[in-house]
Amino acid sequence: MSDKADHSRRNFLYVAAGGLGAVAAGATAVPFIGSMLPAADTLAAAKTEYDVSTVVEGQLVVIQWQGKPVFVVNRTAEMLERVKGHDDKLKDPNSEAGEAVQAEWMDTDEKRLYRAIKPEVLIVVASCTHLGCIPLFKPTAGQKDWGDSVPSDWSGGWHCPCHGSFYDLSARVINGSPAPQNLHVMKYEYISDTVVLIG
Amino acid sequence: MIEKMMNTRLFHWVDERTDLGAIIKSQLTEYPVPKNLNYMWNFGSLALLVLVLQILTGIFLVMYYKPDASLTYGGYTVAFDSVERIMRDINFGWLIRYMHAVGASAFFVVVYMHIGRGLYYGSYKGPRELLWIIGVVILLIMQGAAFFGYLLPWGQMSFWGATVITNLFGALPVLGEYLQQVLRGGFAVGDPTLNRFFSLHYLFPLLLAAIVGGHIHALHVVHSNNPEGIDIDHEKDTIPFHPYYTVKDAFGVGVFLLGYCYFVFFQPEAWGYFIEVDNFVPANNLQTPAHIAPVWYLTPWYTILRTFEDKLMGVVAMGASLAILFVLPFLDRSKVRSARYRPVFRQMVILFFISVVVLGYCGHSAPTETLAMVGTIATCVYFGFFLLLPFVHKFEKTKPLPGGE
Amino acid sequence: MRGMMMKMTRFSLIACLMLMLAPVMASAAGGVAVKHTDITFDKETLRAGLQVFTDVCMGCHSAKYVTYRNLMAYPEIGISREEADELRGDKALMAGLITELSPEDAAESYGKVPPDLSLIARARRGGANYTYSILTGYEADPDGKIEDGNYNVYYPGGRIAMPDPLAWMGHDAEETADLEEQARSVSSFLAFIGDPHQLERKRLGRWVMGFLVLLTFVLWMLKKEVWKDVKKH
Repeated sequence: MSDKADHSRRNFLYVAAGGLGAVAAGATAVPFIGSMLPAADTLAAAKTEYDVSTVVEGQLVVIQWQGKPVFVVNRTAEMLERVKGHDDKLKDPNSEAGEAVQAEWMDTDEKRLYRAIKPEVLIVVASCTHLGCIPLFKPTAGQKDWGDSVPSDWSGGWHCPCHGSFYDLSARVINGSPAPQNLHVMKYEYISDTVVLIG
Repeated sequence: MIEKMMNTRLFHWVDERTDLGAIIKSQLTEYPVPKNLNYMWNFGSLALLVLVLQILTGIFLVMYYKPDASLTYGGYTVAFDSVERIMRDINFGWLIRYMHAVGASAFFVVVYMHIGRGLYYGSYKGPRELLWIIGVVILLIMQGAAFFGYLLPWGQMSFWGATVITNLFGALPVLGEYLQQVLRGGFAVGDPTLNRFFSLHYLFPLLLAAIVGGHIHALHVVHSNNPEGIDIDHEKDTIPFHPYYTVKDAFGVGVFLLGYCYFVFFQPEAWGYFIEVDNFVPANNLQTPAHIAPVWYLTPWYTILRTFEDKLMGVVAMGASLAILFVLPFLDRSKVRSARYRPVFRQMVILFFISVVVLGYCGHSAPTETLAMVGTIATCVYFGFFLLLPFVHKFEKTKPLPGGE
Repeated sequence: MRGMMMKMTRFSLIACLMLMLAPVMASAAGGVAVKHTDITFDKETLRAGLQVFTDVCMGCHSAKYVTYRNLMAYPEIGISREEADELRGDKALMAGLITELSPEDAAESYGKVPPDLSLIARARRGGANYTYSILTGYEADPDGKIEDGNYNVYYPGGRIAMPDPLAWMGHDAEETADLEEQARSVSSFLAFIGDPHQLERKRLGRWVMGFLVLLTFVLWMLKKEVWKDVKKH
């Protein structure tokens, strides 16, 4: 009879010890896994400031943000015209696929068409959504400048050399491309007339 | 609970292909252990725990540490900067760093207690001579690993400690200069030294893991000694390791963690003993700190080294003080193992322990004439212990052993 | 068994006593025993210390491991973005606190390159008490050998290259409390930046120790319970 009491006491102690031990093990894992998350200084480098007035009309520059390449394009009025009228050729004309292609500031039809806060200045992540290569900028229409690397009805945009994906001048992916999504956008804002804060 | 896990189908599948069940039973759960072990026998499992902790914290530190002695602003280096980055910017970096620094000292506390147990109770005597020898190898590799690791932060103590010790190798005849160059990778301690010490610091603990496996295997063949030092009746006097020593070791771990975590969270520098004050100063090869001393766990041997004015004699004495540990099992001829039943040996071994503590104290302090003399006396006691041993059995009247042996 | 335990306790006590005395002896070796000040890590003190640091110390010293962003992010200091912008001028937010004085110019003017202060409280025996003592320790050399402003008993050797930054020498009696407070607050600041996570560490430590006491107690009970079988024999 006292054996039974001993056994339940023993079991209780085993369970208590095991439970506390599991808590200890879990708690110990937290700082180790946590140390592998981005460090404070890495996170602080999460924002980049850039003066877009340095980009000449019609020109594209590649800058860095969070270690990734980012296109900043100063689009002419003529280029802006060429993003219209071919929605049927696009996989995702309104950037509805998800968070990565649809930023909070894309709240009007115009913003979704031009995929920019100020229509002239397009800022997108320069990473092909297929497997990450940096696509080549082929802004002029037709095949005169690009030969048959682009289709005959080419209205300008990007062509990825790795597996042949195409994007229009608003960085929206064209049907037939291996890439599943438009080039990604991110949170950014104009902290002055010409300076953007990305991130 | 282990029994429940061993009854699952997954376990049976693995067991059919590896015999894991038999291994677990014979080496862990049903492994026979004397039932009269006292808490001095906990230090072996604690040493294993600390080894695992050091490897774990070490691996995560290496994700951010950079072994590069290139100068940066303020007289610092890339290596020193990377350690400060770990302390300031990496999430919980400070915790992992302190665990590693405190762990290094904890490792030696535990191992010295473990060795002390072996000495006092005669665990080094037959049939456990090889077990002891493997243990001495472990001690030497630990000391090497600690020495290599201490250079890595590239503070003043790191740099000058490495300079002094690598200079020692230069004292050896014939091969000395060559060895010194091989260790340093240059004319003085520098970036090549840092990089190779980093490589070796990573290697040695992994070597240790393998050698500890051998140490435990050797133990399991001859089985544990016990405080009485007598050969025991296998049937009557042993109990299975599980649950008796698993719970006792677990309790020991709890007590250990209380001490360890106190230091990690409240006194990680341990008043300059675990992390030395001078090591927060970036290494300066043109200025030696006022007071160079190795970390506390290497101080006894440092004193022995300094006992002799002649550099070579010092190195030889230091080497001898470690080498003599290897032959201990063959120096002691007494048939009785445990100091409990050996009144003369008991006094000798306690005096030996005191001499090691005194040697440590002398090694840590600034050298003075008095301390030099004290150190010399302690060195004599240290060596005297070993040199007297072969004769003790001739005149020692051992107490009658229990069980009438 | 008990005999050995008693012997071990006795000499480990002696050993501990001896080892404890060592650092006490060492700190006295550098100069006079340091003064004591009560450093605190409250926002007021740390901000006052930051002020002293940027106004006075940064004339010659850097603290490269402390960035303007850190000054905002550490909850114990927590300056605002505006305050940080004011302090940093055109330097990056992520830049460390770097002095304008180049090492070469400093070596020329003072004979020594002023050390970086990020870790000074940990790199000197006596820590914050040492820095406080230095700042309030300037006096005229009784032997008349070392010039005013370079004689400080708390500095090993007595000759310090750093000239009386708080203008301690010859201060009026009514200024004493203010200067002492400046020395205390900047010492607190230096002690903080030497180990910025120390408060979090101790907070976490209290939880860990509490948990471990509980865990060890349960393991102790479990050990006693399981070992009843063995005692029975």
